[in-house]
Parts: sequence; C-alpha cells; structure tokens
Amino acid sequence: MLKIARNLYEYRELVAELTRKDITVRYKQAYLGIAWAVLRPLALMLIFTLVKSFVGIDSGTIPYPILTFAALMPWVFFQDATAEGIESVVKNSALVRKIYFPREIFPLTAVTTKLVEFGISAFILAGLMVWYQMMPTAHILWVPVIILYTLLVSLTIALMGAAINVSYRDVGAALPILLSLLMYASPVIYPLQLVRDKLLVQQAAGEWSDLLYTIYTLNPLAGIIDSFQNVVLRGLPPDFSSMLPGMVLTAILLPLSYRYFKWEEAYFADVI
Amino acid sequence: MPIIQLNHVSKDYRLGTLTSLKDSVRNTVRRLRGQPVKKRAPFRALDDMDFSIEQGEVVGIIGNNGAGKSTLLKLLAKVTTPTAGRVAVNGKVAPLIEVGAGLVPDLTGRENVFLNATILGITRADIAARFDEIVAFSELESFIDTPIKRYSSGMKIRLAFAIATSVEAEILIIDEVLAVGDLAFQRKCFERMEDLIKGRGNTVLIVSHNIRQIERMCSRVLLLERGQVVADGLPLEVADLFYRRSNEKISAEHKKSLEGKVHKYSSGEIELVSVDLLDEQGEATDSIPSGGTLRVRVRFQVNKPLQKPEIVVGTHTTDFFYLSASSTALIEDRPDLDVGVHEVEYIVPSFPLVAGTYCVRFAVFDQHQRKVFTGETLKIFTVLPTSLEILDAPMRRLYLPTRWRINGVAHNSPMPVPAQAATT
Repeated sequence: MLKIARNLYEYRELVAELTRKDITVRYKQAYLGIAWAVLRPLALMLIFTLVKSFVGIDSGTIPYPILTFAALMPWVFFQDATAEGIESVVKNSALVRKIYFPREIFPLTAVTTKLVEFGISAFILAGLMVWYQMMPTAHILWVPVIILYTLLVSLTIALMGAAINVSYRDVGAALPILLSLLMYASPVIYPLQLVRDKLLVQQAAGEWSDLLYTIYTLNPLAGIIDSFQNVVLRGLPPDFSSMLPGMVLTAILLPLSYRYFKWEEAYFADVI
Repeated sequence: MPIIQLNHVSKDYRLGTLTSLKDSVRNTVRRLRGQPVKKRAPFRALDDMDFSIEQGEVVGIIGNNGAGKSTLLKLLAKVTTPTAGRVAVNGKVAPLIEVGAGLVPDLTGRENVFLNATILGITRADIAARFDEIVAFSELESFIDTPIKRYSSGMKIRLAFAIATSVEAEILIIDEVLAVGDLAFQRKCFERMEDLIKGRGNTVLIVSHNIRQIERMCSRVLLLERGQVVADGLPLEVADLFYRRSNEKISAEHKKSLEGKVHKYSSGEIELVSVDLLDEQGEATDSIPSGGTLRVRVRFQVNKPLQKPEIVVGTHTTDFFYLSASSTALIEDRPDLDVGVHEVEYIVPSFPLVAGTYCVRFAVFDQHQRKVFTGETLKIFTVLPTSLEILDAPMRRLYLPTRWRINGVAHNSPMPVPAQAATT
C-alpha cells in the first residue's frame, strides 16, 4: 500500500500531464467543446422525467428532475470512468511497448479525467438547485468523500478489466454493455427509498426481504447515489447502512484487482 | 559495481496467434482436472545472456534481424520482464527506443514537448528551463503552436529527437534513431549524440545496423546471434567478425537460390565434369580474399575431336552481370582436343572485386565460332573482405591497388599493392 502511494507521488506530474492531454484531445476540435460533457446527463434527465410522467415514480419531497440529475451525476461518472479505464492500457499501446512507468497510471489517469466532466455537471446541478430554490446544508462537504469512494469503485473494475482487455479485447466491448444494464439495478431512475420501502418496510419478498436488500446494496452505486442525493438535496448525512455492503465488497476486491493488474503488467508489452 | 548486470537471462515469446478466450477457458478447465494442455512452442528471443556493463561504457549492439537486440533493450528499459534469469539496472534509464512513441497528433508542438518529456521522466521545471533549447534544436520556432498532426514526418521526428535527447539519465538506450531528417539535421543529430556520449560520462547502449557508426562511437561492441552474445570486445574486431559472418550467410543464401538457375547449353560434343576454385596450394575452396588470386579449374569430357577450339572462362555477379571473360582465341598455338577428359585452368593473379558472391561461367567454341558449350553459374564463390577493407570507402564494386600523393608527398595506403604496381 505504501509502495503504491510512493509510486503515485513520484509519478504525479505524469498523471497530471496525461490527464491534461486526455481532456484537451477530447474537446480540441469540437465546436461546443466541453459542453458535450454535460449533454448526456441532461438528455437522460429529460427522458427520465418524460417517462416518469407516464409511469409515476414517487420522488418524495424533491422534484423528480433534480433528483434524477443528482443520481445521474455519480452514475455517469462511474460508468464513463470505468469504461475509459478498461480501454486505457490498450489505447496507449504505443507507450506500453516503448517506455516503462507503472502501468496503473493509465487506468488511474483515465478515471481521474472524468472528474472534470463531473465538475461541469456540478454547475448544472447548482443551476437546477437555484431554479428549485433549494439551499445546500453543511452536509454537502461529504461530496468529495463520496466521489473518492466512487473513484475507487471504478478503479476496482477498471484495473482488472484493463489487464484482461490487453489479452482479450472482448472485455472492452462487453463491460460497457454490462455497466449500462447495471444502471437499472441502481437507484438512478427511481430513488433508493422506493426499494427500501418495498423490502424493509413492506417486507414484499417475505422472509427474503432483508437478504435481498443487502444483495441490492452490494452494488456500491446504490449507496453512492442515495448518499449523494442525501448530502446535496435532502440536507442529510450519508446513509451508511445502505453503503456498508458495497464498501465491504470494494475493500475486498480492490486489492485483488490491483494485485492481478500488477501481476499481468509484466506481460503487457509482449501481448498487447 | 557494474551499472548493468545480466545473469543468465532468457526471454521466450509464444509463437503464433493469441489463444482465444474459449481456448483459454478450456485450457484452464483441463489444467484444473490435471489433464494435459495443448501448448505452443515458445520462441527463444534471448538465450542465457550473461554480461555486465560498467559505468561510463559506450556499448554498441550489432547483429542480424531477429538476433535479439530489441528484446535486450526492452528488458533493460523494463518494458518487459525476462522468462528466466535476472536483469539488474542500477540507475535511471532514458530509452530512446523509436523516437516519437508518445507524440499525440491533436496536441500542439508545445503541448507535446511537455507531455513527451514528462513521459520520459523529466520534471516540469526542467522542461520549462530547457523548452527554448528544445525548440531551437528542432528548428520549429514558427510551428510550435500548431497541432503536430499538421507537421511533416520530418518535423515530427525532429521534435521527438530534440525532446528525447534532453533527458538527463545515467543510462541512455538508443535504438536506430541516429539518422533522422535531412542531411543537415542528421549532422546535428550526430553531434548531439556524440556530445551525449562523450561529454557527460553517461553509460550508453546503441543498437544500429550502421556498423560504421557503431565503430566510431563505441568503446565496446556486442555481437548477438540467435539470442546469444557470440562476440564481445573491441569495435574493430567484432565488426570484422560480423562482416565475415554476414557475408557467409549471404553467400549461403545466394547459393541456395542460384542452384536451380544453372544455365547450360551443349551440342553434345562436350560434357562438363567439374568446376572448382583452387587456393594457393591447389586445394579446392569456396572463397578467396579480396585482391587475392583467382584460380578456376574446369574439367570436361570431349566426345568428338575438336580442332583448335576456343575456350572462354569468366565471372559474373549473382544477378548475371558479366564481370570478366578471357578467351584462348588469341593464343596461336592452342591445342586440338581429342576424345577424353581435359583440364583447363584460368588464373587471375589479383581478382580486383570487393567482398561479395560471384559465379563462374565457361564456354567452348569450335574454330568456326560455332557454339559447342556454354554454361553460367557453374561455380559460386565468395570474395572475403580483409579487415582493412572494412575501413575503406563503402560505395564501390572494384578493389584496386592505389597510390596517393597529397600536396606532392607520396603516402602509401596500408592496402596491399602488388609489387609490380608499387615500383612503377
């Protein structure tokens, strides 16, 4: 663990420079530039709002558009960061074959780059909050912690995925599809409160209800999205009970994923 | 303590295409069940390499394609790991393996300088300090804020070279990057390289096919062959060995490809028995030294008596360019040939061709110039280079004895000059 931190510190300039490169390259020749970054969550928000008007989803006291936008922010960050991270090593094969530096820099850079887009979305969210006349409370200071945790979840999948993707490009193609399916298993379109009500309060699945809820919250995004909405919109602290299963899972998988990545790293240049 | 140390290092690559996910899964299942797994034969790129390099040495690495040069550099640059053995590198390595690996087309020259230099391990403060120098060296002052996808290939290489050579590192690894750009820029690159090599006491490893460059810059040369170090020593000696070996290889390949190409015509009156090359002692051989005596012996069977036939022996290159031919037509008292086996020897006291592969041709005409027998590529032989020849000018076909007068003063070249020529 100490070695990882030392490595990261030693190569901090490289991470910064590669991040800068990724961002500039992405928007260099686009007329709307970085505005594209926020288009997707905004468009999804509008679609979901439209769908909601037919289906009827109880969003509690919070207006549905802003609630779903606040869910889409961490979700889109997670999905893009993970997909980008998985592709990162293969994308940089020219460098992998020629120059050595710790290879985890590639997924790490890919993931951190997405923070920029997240930051821009934050302005939109602020705008929406002004529109709906909502005041943030001191709990909003939790946001960096929640985002750091999201970043670690992304890395868990990205490190392993990037290493496998070097040998089998199937992973790069399949994982984004799986991730977009995962969105429906996360409280993006509907608030977590609905799941909680169904399973914990109404015990809809009988004696299996509590177990099912734990399985549902094993998905770290369930806790992340709910907590993000809590601290930004509801003025509440994060709900740790819904975050715990996902956190435990991440704490187990992240070291394994990292170890696997480092073990495969030696063969990247030969196989890529 | 040596700065680079290789202990019995081997590196295998697996041959053939990568196994599919399906095969991998199947193999894993088989392995878990303890069943035998289908394996592909590995390719041994490096085979038990064992040497060390001291601080400040400038080492050239030469060898044919596939000898393991690039694999060796990759191991030293830590890009890949050995299959067996241990590589110890005690210092910061700056790899100039193919300049321009990290250039991004969409970024401007300026942005690329910062990015690429960071990738090579230069700190931001250092780059900022050296930025003007890098730009000046690459001669791209007016294009530095243009995306490099609009650069010409020469401009890109110039920029990459300027960035790469501004790295400060104990160990510099250079792979085939010495000659880039136009002639004027190449000259600049050379000066920069020599400055890097000689000026700062760095340890340098150079891989190149340009043996002359290696000889000039290095203090020690390693010759690699099929993943092994076959020679390790002074540049001149190792380069000489390399030349000999490549020539042998070339002539062996030529022989193979020419074997099916023997062009022969015979009226039936003559049948060829043998064509041999003889050395000074009259023993059959396949090669002569450059400038040495060429002695060809032809034996043939005559089936019908021939009156005063004309015999022609000559040489040609492997692509059938006729080099020499001599005929007995000028000899008044040439003999008649009866039925039976006859022997002809053709002797050139000093064969004036540079090292390479050549062939013998042979023809017989009767006294009325009627073609009786002609044949090409009857014998393939090699002219070997002398160690002095390697130092001489490269662009030529003939190896001629020379005398020099510089400012009116005679200077003798160490090239062997036949006694007769030297005295006149």
